[in-house]
Amino acid sequence: MSTAEQAELTAVAGARAIGARRRRRPHIRDTWWRHAVAIIGILVALFPVAYTLSSAFNRDNTLQGASLVPTHVTLHNFGNLLHNNVYLNGGGKTDAPYLSWIVNSMIIAGATAFLATLLGAFAAYAFSRFRFKGRRFGLMALLLIQMFPQFGAIAAIYLLVLNIGNIFGPLGLNSLLAVIVVYLGGAMGVQAWLMKGFFDTIPHELDESARVDGATPAQIFWGVILPLAAPVLVVVALISFVFTLNDYVIASALLQTNNHFTLAVGMKGFIGDQYGQLWGPFAAGSLMAMIPVTALFFFLQRWIVSGLTAGSVKG
Amino acid sequence: MSTATAPIPAEPPPFSPGRIARAIAAFSGLPGQIIKLAFLAATNGLAVWAAYVLADRKHWVALPILIAATAAIDIVYLAPRKWTLPLKFLVPGTIFLLAFQIVPIVYTIEVAFSNYSTGHVIGKADAIKAIQVNSLQPPANGRQFEIAPARDASGKLVLILHDDASGAVYVGTNKALTPLAKADVTISKDTGQPTAAKGYTLIKGAELFAMDAQLKAFNIPTRGGSAIQTQGVSQAVELQPTLRYDKAKDQFVRISDGVVFKDNGQGSFVSSVNPKDELEPGWKTYTGLHNFGKLANNPLYRTPFLKVFVWTFAFATLTVLLSFAIGLFVAIALNKKGLRFQRLYRSVLVVPWAMPGFLSLLIWAGLLNDSFGVVNNKILSHFGFTVPWLFDANWAKVSVILVSVWLTTPYFFLVSLGALQSIPEELTEAARVDGGGAWGIFRRVTLPLLLIAVGPLLIASFAFNFNNFNNIYLLTGGGPYTGSSSIAGSTDILISYTYKLAIATGKGQDYGLASAVAIIIFFIVATISGTAFFRSKALENVN
Repeated sequence: MSTAEQAELTAVAGARAIGARRRRRPHIRDTWWRHAVAIIGILVALFPVAYTLSSAFNRDNTLQGASLVPTHVTLHNFGNLLHNNVYLNGGGKTDAPYLSWIVNSMIIAGATAFLATLLGAFAAYAFSRFRFKGRRFGLMALLLIQMFPQFGAIAAIYLLVLNIGNIFGPLGLNSLLAVIVVYLGGAMGVQAWLMKGFFDTIPHELDESARVDGATPAQIFWGVILPLAAPVLVVVALISFVFTLNDYVIASALLQTNNHFTLAVGMKGFIGDQYGQLWGPFAAGSLMAMIPVTALFFFLQRWIVSGLTAGSVKG
Repeated sequence: MSTATAPIPAEPPPFSPGRIARAIAAFSGLPGQIIKLAFLAATNGLAVWAAYVLADRKHWVALPILIAATAAIDIVYLAPRKWTLPLKFLVPGTIFLLAFQIVPIVYTIEVAFSNYSTGHVIGKADAIKAIQVNSLQPPANGRQFEIAPARDASGKLVLILHDDASGAVYVGTNKALTPLAKADVTISKDTGQPTAAKGYTLIKGAELFAMDAQLKAFNIPTRGGSAIQTQGVSQAVELQPTLRYDKAKDQFVRISDGVVFKDNGQGSFVSSVNPKDELEPGWKTYTGLHNFGKLANNPLYRTPFLKVFVWTFAFATLTVLLSFAIGLFVAIALNKKGLRFQRLYRSVLVVPWAMPGFLSLLIWAGLLNDSFGVVNNKILSHFGFTVPWLFDANWAKVSVILVSVWLTTPYFFLVSLGALQSIPEELTEAARVDGGGAWGIFRRVTLPLLLIAVGPLLIASFAFNFNNFNNIYLLTGGGPYTGSSSIAGSTDILISYTYKLAIATGKGQDYGLASAVAIIIFFIVATISGTAFFRSKALENVN
């Protein structure tokens, strides 16, 4: 068993053990320092979240005015941002198509997560179920290629898309589709390995009995393997989704106009050097984006921890 | 990067797979066949269109590749052979892998050995033409013309020119200057302007003024490389080249003083007198190890590069070690059977890790803002001091590490907690019976066992943080900048430095140098991950 596997198993075992091992409660005299550590940790962990929450609802939308308890609770930061109606103090309006950013991010991250998972599952199935010439080489090559982070070649990707765009406009700069296909370049990476590992644990007898019933390999893939692997597919898709959502390098290099930006590129440009003035609407926008993603993460936390320890995608 | 089998807990999934199973199964069989054929048809249709465009634009290298690739795809999916079976499942992902992972890597390597950058974009022949046009200057006593833009019989734009000094009249196209008979052209007595010409229709009024840009680009070549250029809509001057290109010797000669500009092998014509004197523009060419040499030898590049290099290691190391240390400490604190609120603590403590990272970073940039940020404004000001978190070179480094630790600690907390709880109690108990102190037991028993489990993750996290672009760029933008001449700020790591060299700089784009740095990053990450990878024996799992 590899050390990586052990790490994963221990992480998972630990996650389960917390629920199981609850017997006699120790006395507070012996445990007060543990509570103190936890509470200090929580204060540090939640400090930025608390300020964001309060600033989002505060009427004063400047950063100077930010306080832990809002002075006047109002929703106008949300309304102004959603209607692209954010004004600067000295007069003048910023162009912040927040809803476009959300939609673009959803399209890019959603399509990437779905397609990357599907392409990865195809590859994982081939590596898990077929024995063919060059299989071992293929697996090794995939691992080695993944050691080069894709965005390290950012200059080359930029020039590549620029040149493709000169020939095929829809895949050129400033196109959501171009960003998606560039992300899909990583579909055969770590995630495919993760899925291959899971597919390996699905008993071959199931394939065999389906084959006896006359199923083709494609039917076995769609009808037997994928349904059984549904949980791992969801986790892989979610990891891919969050990872894509967080990307700044590729999106900012390829997307050029405000209404084509993703949330990461848009929000960075929005707040830019305007921390003093636009803090309120920025906090509102952050909060709206943060809540669903964080909730999703918590919902699938247990499964993600095991996936992440295997792939170490985030952290 | 440790990738092995994925242990998915054998607990019930958070949703019922039954419905998904039925939905997915519905796609196998006939609907699946139809979808497959539809995709294949769409791919072929797209390929035909692409082939047409490529042929139209005469891309004779890309076209055969496209045709071969499409044919291969069709064979794999339509010819039922045993050997094509795995390929059916491997081809879709591999296409994207090749196009957007392998090709960029190969391209990066190619560009790293070239001088591709602002001012070195075009080919040599184009550069020579551009230099010749750029060198045109009005001579001291050159010919001046009064002009009238006109159209010839076919409607093409020409200029009717009247030489002030000699009184000669010409018609000029963008190909040549031809004399006209004086009798055929009427010249205004007051302005010297041609007002009519036989066989030509003069352009007048609003149409004339709308042609400003068109006229600016209108050049009439004359003898000896000179050219007549318009100046507004009513005048033109003859320009003479200040440089002469000697085709046989492949060099430019400055006509005024005879200084020779030679091809320096780096994509520029350089003065033989002053090597800093280059002719603009240069051209794209292969320069061998020049970019790497620049990073190693040229102090202008070496100093910032070395600073960035050292800081990248410091940043990644400190982030990982501090996060692990704090995460482990909190995990030890919470690793107590029956501790009250344990589950609640655990859930809340991982919030920084569950939040979208780019938002956390932008929020932290606000909180640490010097003048408005709450850290200075609401907290530290109570104690009578403030800290230039993001504006001082050293404090910015501290900020970057603090925020990275805030982001990464929950991950190591979770992993350490899991690992701690998997260590059998009998071991620590036995050590205690043998008279070990708490610290001794931790150091001799717990930590070594823990490191077996967490070790590979520490290395993977190091490799991840080594290229953690977001943590730098979204917090400080790589700044603050201490020197005025450098592209690298004081918190830039290698990957953000590359990004700035290639894309985001006010000083032009140096793709060649950016690619050279990228290759150096590749080697470092590959060495680190490779070592970890072979140590973890993940290879044994390739089965």
